Amino acid sequence: MALKRTLMVGAAAVLAAAPVLAHHGWGSYDAATPFTITGPMKHVTYEYPHVHVMVDHEGKTWEITLAPPSRMEARQAIIAVVKPGKVIAAYGYASKQKPAEMRAERITIDGKTYEMR
Amino acid sequence: MGWLMALEQSGLGEAMRGSSFLYPLANVAHILGLVVFAGAVAIMDARLLGAFATLPLPPFVARWRRLAMAAFALQVTSGVMLFSAEATAITGNPVFRLKLLLIAIGLANVALFEFVTRPRVSRWQPGAPPPAAARIFGALSLGVWLATAAAGRLIAYF
Repeated sequence: MALKRTLMVGAAAVLAAAPVLAHHGWGSYDAATPFTITGPMKHVTYEYPHVHVMVDHEGKTWEITLAPPSRMEARQAIIAVVKPGKVIAAYGYASKQKPAEMRAERITIDGKTYEMR
Repeated sequence: MGWLMALEQSGLGEAMRGSSFLYPLANVAHILGLVVFAGAVAIMDARLLGAFATLPLPPFVARWRRLAMAAFALQVTSGVMLFSAEATAITGNPVFRLKLLLIAIGLANVALFEFVTRPRVSRWQPGAPPPAAARIFGALSLGVWLATAAAGRLIAYF
């Protein structure tokens, strides 16, 4: 039946596309060259859609994009942890579009590591 | 652009960023609204492309358009909510601009249907194959609205 075949082809196309779509918003970052920024957090915006922290790194102030607040909280990276003045080590990728912006894969604060994905 | 900054710094913008549930709620509403809107639009377009050919066109369109308009209102509401959280940054996003353009084309297409397509297909009898004007409009509408949905999803990647 033509309809059944159409549905099966459609489902196969969706499944094939799924791995690409799973990487929400990571496409514009240079995943081939991860690096770490370590330093005190100068400024924190714990807000939707993403938490951001500002950290000085090699003469520039980097904006580091973290997870949405709900996911941060679910992983115990609560607002009392991600606090200005504390030292953060953020492992992630530089934006290919915006200078001095990093998308963090994971962060370490007070010796504890939190996954952002 | 002063009004973008004003929107971002308004109570709505602050609530969208600060509330623990508003942003996810608006996100979910935007997806559910899309499902209903795209469904209602697609069934009207399918009718114009020749499906459900035995059902008379005017009551068919009247019925589904009400649902499409209600869903569109939900999309505008939830969309403005999401936009207000980061209005200045999103405005510079090329895919967001493309999406606004596609919405404008989609709405212009509805006007085209009312003023051009409808008079041309007024003598289209139930059961008869669709006239060219109906087929062109239906295909255009379906394409534009699906592209709008795709552009919306792609904003996060650019």
